[in-house]
Amino acid sequence: MTTLELFLFITLLVLVLAMILSFIRLIQGKTIWDRILMLNLISAKVVLFVAVYAIYIDNIILLDIAISYGIIGFLTMTLLAKFIMTGGREK
Amino acid sequence: MMIVTYIVLILSWFFIIFGMIAIFRLKNLYTRILTAATIDTVASFLVLIALIFAASQFEYAIRLLLLILFLLITNPISSHVNIRSAYLIGIPTDVKDGGIK
Repeated sequence: MTTLELFLFITLLVLVLAMILSFIRLIQGKTIWDRILMLNLISAKVVLFVAVYAIYIDNIILLDIAISYGIIGFLTMTLLAKFIMTGGREK
Repeated sequence: MMIVTYIVLILSWFFIIFGMIAIFRLKNLYTRILTAATIDTVASFLVLIALIFAASQFEYAIRLLLLILFLLITNPISSHVNIRSAYLIGIPTDVKDGGIK
């Protein structure tokens, strides 16, 4: 294991730890906006995880998957916030 | 060139850990959203910039730059939509725990 691989591996561990803590906070969240925020944080962490893992195993396809997952996470978060703001009605 | 990668990655670990401390320690909903979103954006930038310096080919750098540009646009929009939703519903801004507890 080279030095770069060691640093990338520690980065992956830190990201997984952050995702676990965010998930705990998502379960015991106080308001619905706290939970949406934690969903946003977990989505950003997953994007980072996939990008770091793409460099770690030297595979370029995973970077495209990271971009796609970023778009999906952004749409989820925005539409959920809008849905709650309008109270489930159309407008 | 690799020394830049190591320094920036170590910085990013501290930013990720500070973001996690912030969402557990702060008491108000708005401060939590602001701090978590801002620190998370900075951590994302640092990790991706470190990966650009560590990339072995040119195609990696292009995709990572695209990812940075996308996060630069969408992360502030996400936190703004979230805060706007909470504010329009009527969560007060000056009470601990957003007035819920």
